[in-house]
Amino acid sequence: MESLEYIDAYFGGEFPPEEASRFEKRIQEDPGFADEVAYYLGALSAAREANRTERKKRFRELYKEGAGKGRTATVRRMGSRKWLTVAAAAAVLGMIVLAWLLYMRPADPARLAERYIQQNLASLPVKMGRTDRLQKGIDLYNSGKFTEALRQYEGLLRSDSLDLTALNYAGIVSLRIENYDKALDYFIKLQHHTDPRVNPGLFYEALTLLRRNYAGDSDHAKQLLRQIVEKELNKKADAQELLGKL
Amino acid sequence: MAIRGSNSEKDWQIIGLLRQRGVDKRKGEESLFNEYAYFIRDGIRKHRLSEDEAFDAYSDSVLAVIESISSETFQGNSSLKSYLYKIFHNKCVDLFRKNATNKNSVNRALSIDEELFRLSDKSRSILQTLIEKADWKVLKERLEQLGDDCRRMLLLWSDSYSDKEIAVVMDYKTANVVKTSRLRCLAKLRQLYHIE
Repeated sequence: MESLEYIDAYFGGEFPPEEASRFEKRIQEDPGFADEVAYYLGALSAAREANRTERKKRFRELYKEGAGKGRTATVRRMGSRKWLTVAAAAAVLGMIVLAWLLYMRPADPARLAERYIQQNLASLPVKMGRTDRLQKGIDLYNSGKFTEALRQYEGLLRSDSLDLTALNYAGIVSLRIENYDKALDYFIKLQHHTDPRVNPGLFYEALTLLRRNYAGDSDHAKQLLRQIVEKELNKKADAQELLGKL
Repeated sequence: MAIRGSNSEKDWQIIGLLRQRGVDKRKGEESLFNEYAYFIRDGIRKHRLSEDEAFDAYSDSVLAVIESISSETFQGNSSLKSYLYKIFHNKCVDLFRKNATNKNSVNRALSIDEELFRLSDKSRSILQTLIEKADWKVLKERLEQLGDDCRRMLLLWSDSYSDKEIAVVMDYKTANVVKTSRLRCLAKLRQLYHIE
């Protein structure tokens, strides 16, 4: 007991330096005393271990308790109701994004023009009873033979450079074969030679610009389309539709 | 001490409780344990530990944090969550490596390091040799055989409670009475240890 008290005083920091030195010397010279110090430290260690074990036991109970209440390991997990709310919100958000992508997002000009071409210029109207080069060109166009159709219209234009129908069809065929510069030439010529209220040159120029979609083409096309709408030119309804999607 | 991190108010509450004694400290320990108990799932999922292993790693980490706060080695350079997670993660990695290489249990540093390092190298070496020879398992068993009061007193002492604090917690008249009783308990434990 006495030595325990002495040892306890040392580890309690109660000794002045000289006494601490004496304490150390005793450990080194007195094996019985060293044994006592080792026991003291061993008891301290055993008590600390017991303390840890006891606290871990308490933690284990808390953990089990929490698991029973549906928390602990899942403390931060969301309840199924919360998940449902989150899932519903995600679904609504998804629908909004989808709707925006499908209906509200400004369309890509080239894609918009291509869609218009597929819907409205897939075939040219057949003129009943006609068997001339113009009609042959239409037949070739409707068969998908665009290069040959263009050859027919260019032949016609060589003999009459102001053949407005040939200019129009030559422009459309050029657009289909993606020769946009040529298409623009034909459509611009078409505008210069007829009343814009009856010829579609301005609209097709805008359509070609949209389809080509070079830098600035889209803005230029919008200006032309607005002009068609404001001045109530040919294909006003189509121009309005395209503007609404741009 | 300023604590970095988004949960500093909660951290302060827990740290405040952990720096108390008795019931408050216990509340702090439980709050800390509960607050981040979901780490256990991380241990299972990310480190492929069993639930028991992940629980052990987490409890040991919580105890390490409690120890750091009590001894004021926790500087508040990170949030409690980050600090705890770092310790927990390292323990999980140790356990995973142990599992992968089939080694024996992860060595835990002697819990009396602090006391041993007060001594000179020579004295420490003598004591370490003696400590290594001792049968600690028996000593732990004997500790369980002590009366409740004795056991409790020694556990509080091992948790760095001063005699004055033990007097308050265990309702003793003075710190001197506690000191005498505690040393008697230590002597009694030694007697039990030497029987056999």
